[in-house]
Amino acid sequence: MQAFAPGIYPRSEELVQATRDLDRGRTTPEAVDEQTERDLAQLVSAQADAGFDLLADGMLRWQDIFRPLVEGSEGLETGALTRFLDTNSFYRAPSATTAEPTLRAPLDERYIAQLPGPRLVTLPSPFALSHGTDVTPKAMAEGVLKPQLEAIDAELVVLEEPYLAREESPDLGAVEEALQVLAGGPKLALWLTFGDAQRLLEQGLADLPVHAIGIDFYATHLTDIPQDFDKLLLAGVLDARSSVLEEPREIAAFVETLRRRGVEEIALVPNGDLQYVSEQVAREKLGRLGKAKTAAVKAAA
Amino acid sequence: MSEVKFLTHEVGSLAKPPWLVKTSAGKPLDESDIEHARSWGEKVGVGGYEKLVESLQQDERDPEEIARWASRYCVRLQESAGVDVIWDGEQQRSEMYAWAIAHSNGFEPRGTVRSFDNKYYSKSAATGPVSLAEPYHNEEFSFLKSVAEHDLKIPITGAYTLAVWSYDEHHLPKEGRLGGGLSRKDEVEARRELTLDIARNLIRPNLEALIDLGATWIQIDEPGASTEEDELDVFVESFNVSVEGLDCMFSTHLCFSDYDLFFPAIEGMSGCRQYCVGFANYDTRELGTGGAERPGYEVISKWRDLPYDPILGLGVLDIHTDFIEPPELVRDRILYAAEVFGDPARIQVCPDCGLRTRSWEVAYEKLRNMVEGTRLAEEALNRVHAGARRN
Repeated sequence: MQAFAPGIYPRSEELVQATRDLDRGRTTPEAVDEQTERDLAQLVSAQADAGFDLLADGMLRWQDIFRPLVEGSEGLETGALTRFLDTNSFYRAPSATTAEPTLRAPLDERYIAQLPGPRLVTLPSPFALSHGTDVTPKAMAEGVLKPQLEAIDAELVVLEEPYLAREESPDLGAVEEALQVLAGGPKLALWLTFGDAQRLLEQGLADLPVHAIGIDFYATHLTDIPQDFDKLLLAGVLDARSSVLEEPREIAAFVETLRRRGVEEIALVPNGDLQYVSEQVAREKLGRLGKAKTAAVKAAA
Repeated sequence: MSEVKFLTHEVGSLAKPPWLVKTSAGKPLDESDIEHARSWGEKVGVGGYEKLVESLQQDERDPEEIARWASRYCVRLQESAGVDVIWDGEQQRSEMYAWAIAHSNGFEPRGTVRSFDNKYYSKSAATGPVSLAEPYHNEEFSFLKSVAEHDLKIPITGAYTLAVWSYDEHHLPKEGRLGGGLSRKDEVEARRELTLDIARNLIRPNLEALIDLGATWIQIDEPGASTEEDELDVFVESFNVSVEGLDCMFSTHLCFSDYDLFFPAIEGMSGCRQYCVGFANYDTRELGTGGAERPGYEVISKWRDLPYDPILGLGVLDIHTDFIEPPELVRDRILYAAEVFGDPARIQVCPDCGLRTRSWEVAYEKLRNMVEGTRLAEEALNRVHAGARRN
């Protein structure tokens, strides 16, 4: 049983103010950097206090899940401001000027921070990065994500995938092809955020060449998990779009039902980026995730 | 055919000046803030601006009075740019969502959430039945009526947007959702209950209060309308519940969405006489009046074909960039729309959305070019019509 929190973590009220001030010319980039480091230290501390197994850096400098990779790649550009799924948050949709974009250089520590312990790193999945462009997931994997992965030393790389579960006719073959390109480096997880994975699971999602699969259990029914699921299951049990604070005992009971269904390896995670709640709410949710893990471990003992 | 004349209007917010922001935050001013008040007062012709400059210099700052000065500045900024129908850039409001929630019962704050990049908004949770604490646009409307020379259009945040931008801790169960315990149908019904609660008990009393004060055009802002594709009927129902039977021109503002989603749902929104919609964000910067140059406007024919013939407020300024649209680009966007509609009387001209993320310098230049581009479009169409009459 593990617990951790991939994805973009919300900025503190102090960092919110600092970045607002920066946009208005009322503070310096150095002051924002200092506050970002304070936010990172607090986030690491919150994860350690919660007993998380892998630390995450919260991607505090990422303006959206694609931006640093898009800006750092030849042949990719930031496009129109676009609503992110059914949230009130927006992102710059990637657009491509070539069929084979390439990462100029791997992102540095400003975007993928070194952490004082075993860590996970979150990147967009090749399918997500190619979404809305004419580039294939495989080409995104080869030209952009593979060079980035080769520069990462992490226990787990979580490939965030918000679109696949909402596709009318998802092409798992194209996803598999792209994931094969990324194999051979750090362990990979494909994290399906904010969506019902039922159809994908029926089509063989669990057979994709990754170490772990992440499922949003606020959108996916428990019984949709195949009986023979044999990967690490990133169980999305924190609702990152709700201010309601989860009850650890309810999560622990849910874990028990997963176990009874034959799922042996479970990591408790949010069902998407926690940036859709405020930092105060997110911090409380992290604490509850840690308590849920403790309760689930006790229940299993 | 009578002479073509396009009405220009604002959409909503403008940036707050530094002397208002710092006053609201209790921070000291520096010389650049005072110079900002002086130079803009002179530039756009704010009557008596010297009094503001004097009070800033002497550090005699009453936040409410300073906010009213900001209103005067924004009114004059838009009037001097030549915009026909204006508002004050929401200078006296905290923000379109937070202002409404702060004057309502039934919500509790839940912190700050990112909208995009370094832009954020305060987000609250519905925690009980919604009601109006006090009408929250009356004072600003009364004040603006006293200082504006141009006609006013009052922007008010709509029920669906308030609902979808809030967490709901009242209608949704706190437990039992994990593992697929709550169906999507249940979620939509919960949203419907919250939205209609807001429409009946918050928006409608506000509209009634404004109409009693003499409001003639109220724009119900619904930037969140297309957030959930399967809830568009809830948005439409809430609009109708908000305005039904009230005597006023009602319009709505939609932006940054896949507009195809709105059809056919808004066929049932016949109480909406004008749709003010952002398109420039999706368009090219190339000149031209053909479909190839105007991909951002391809969807407008769907508004043309609505059964109740609403006016389209054509967004021609991308509010997310400092790029100053040349008048000729504005002209071509309007000419394309006029061609698609076939009836210029059903087109009005506006920015894509509120310009609050732009500096006043950028917003002013954009608005001036919007007005100039509108005049160019009118001239072009009137030349064609004059030629047709001669023939």
